[in-house]
Amino acid sequence: MNLILFSALWGVVMMFSGLFISNKSTARTIALTGAFLLLAANLLEMNGYSVINHDFKGMLQFERFNMLFLTVACGSLIIYFLLSSKEIEAVGNHVYEYFALIFFIMCGIGLVALFNNLLILFIGIEIISIPLYILTGSDKRNLKSNEAALKYFLMGAFSTGILLLGIAFLYGATGSFQVEKMGLPANDQLRIFLAIGIVFVMIALAFKVSAAPFHFWTPDVYDGAPTVFTSFMATIVKAALFVGFLTLFYNAFSNNYEDWKLSVALITALTLFIGNITAVFQQSVKRMLAYSSIAQAGFMMFTVFAINDMAKQGMLLYAAAYCLATIGIFSVLIKMKDYTFDGFNGFAKKQPLLAFVLTVCLFSLAGVPLTAGFFAKYFVLAAAVKTGTYLWLVIFAVLMAAISVYYYFRIVQAMYFKEGEGQDIETTPLFRIVMIAIAALIILLGVLPTALLNWLTLY
Amino acid sequence: MSVTVILFWLLSVLALGAALMMVTSKNPVYSVLWLIVVFFAISGHYILMNAQFLAIVNIIVYAGAIMVLFLFVIMLMNLNAETEPQKNKWLKLAGAVAGGCLLLVFVAALRQTELLKLQEVNMSGPTGLIRRLGMVLFTDYVLPFEIASVLFLSAMVGAVVIGKKGD
Repeated sequence: MNLILFSALWGVVMMFSGLFISNKSTARTIALTGAFLLLAANLLEMNGYSVINHDFKGMLQFERFNMLFLTVACGSLIIYFLLSSKEIEAVGNHVYEYFALIFFIMCGIGLVALFNNLLILFIGIEIISIPLYILTGSDKRNLKSNEAALKYFLMGAFSTGILLLGIAFLYGATGSFQVEKMGLPANDQLRIFLAIGIVFVMIALAFKVSAAPFHFWTPDVYDGAPTVFTSFMATIVKAALFVGFLTLFYNAFSNNYEDWKLSVALITALTLFIGNITAVFQQSVKRMLAYSSIAQAGFMMFTVFAINDMAKQGMLLYAAAYCLATIGIFSVLIKMKDYTFDGFNGFAKKQPLLAFVLTVCLFSLAGVPLTAGFFAKYFVLAAAVKTGTYLWLVIFAVLMAAISVYYYFRIVQAMYFKEGEGQDIETTPLFRIVMIAIAALIILLGVLPTALLNWLTLY
Repeated sequence: MSVTVILFWLLSVLALGAALMMVTSKNPVYSVLWLIVVFFAISGHYILMNAQFLAIVNIIVYAGAIMVLFLFVIMLMNLNAETEPQKNKWLKLAGAVAGGCLLLVFVAALRQTELLKLQEVNMSGPTGLIRRLGMVLFTDYVLPFEIASVLFLSAMVGAVVIGKKGD
């Protein structure tokens, strides 16, 4: 609750400071302060200090898993601001408003992580989506950005409609919006409406997390949006929506597991296949990362498929590993002019340090041992094995992970083994320190995943 | 006849008459204006049924916002007799068939409902009153109600960011 409250308030603070402060670069400082404030507020709440100690008649729940995820999200937000807030300034004239929108999105993320009522889930998803449409189109002079925003808005509005329809069916079947009432329809005749509702909600959420076959908007939107905002929405927002997805299916629909298990398995397989195969053929690194985010969504779908405690641990690790690595790669990519694979030729000679950090990030995304990505993939797959069914899905996922190595290592190969000039990019000492911290965190989580997971049980 | 019954018949005649005028009038702007009359008449019905909130929302949202949007669209499209495209007669036939089907469904559905025949709807209950709704909104549903303001605020910020001139 602290996070929801403070992020909404800080969004307003950002807006008003834009009114009174004409200096653009102050925005960064205020935003960074806000991000630290959110982290502090959330950590305080995990230790029992909450501003509003109330669950609003059961509309919110404060499970350890969800609170811990919010901490990970706040940490990622701080890293994101430290690395990329300079580029947010470069997008357009409304710097303070962009930061304000990001804080509103954090408010939505808090709602999506802590909901215990479908109304809250709906409002949370909307608070995330609407600022994202705007951030996507914030580069107003760029036609690609406009196209991406329009596409995202129209498709997103449509999927929100489907979500509402699903929620209406669920309400019809159970007579309640409360998550814990979802498993118990009033009588057997209403079971069919419960199933229809689950399918619609599944479709809408799969759209929001860009799982195939509802992924078609992703490459265009991620490619067209200003790169600095792509970095935000492909990482923190996506992970938050997955946590919402998992929480809903874990808390509400686990009684009906047999009804939807096969559909989620098929979505998972299709997402893995389409994401990985299409990423192989991309020429632009930004577009490749968009497809790679679809592929990674496939792995995160495993947590929804498995819905057990191991899946929750896997989700946390995956969120941390994926956010860290992808934010790291994007923060370098933003500073480059040439987004093709050839743009990375000879990068290691020019920037040996950044090339090393990028390599660690790419290894983590591919799931190489000793990086966080390895344990993240291990946990989600082990959770799926624990269910005891659909072993073919796990084998298929391992195959697909092997394919993903190809396109991640293309960048590594270009950086180290190809002749080239290497692009000039400007970095500050702070930037380099944070990048080293990212690499260190990824390796730390790759050696000791319990460093994060212990917090689940530690009080 | 009590006042309520007189009002009921008056509003019904008004609603049906205005709806007919809306469908038959040649000028699309007149159609929209007649439609506004229909909405007002229906809002009157809501008030007769003790549903104040619905009545007011119906006027604000439908008769106000959506109709203004309709008017704008029609004026922007500059529809008049000369620019009107030739209507396909198959299209007209298809429209008639589709509308007839809808009518059939409605009649069939309403004919079979025993509830409507037997039960007199209780129109004096407190359910539709604004006071009652306000109580629920500010107690049980206070969180979604308040948090929706963040949603609208972000939409407003977005409108300013997108709409402002000069960059």
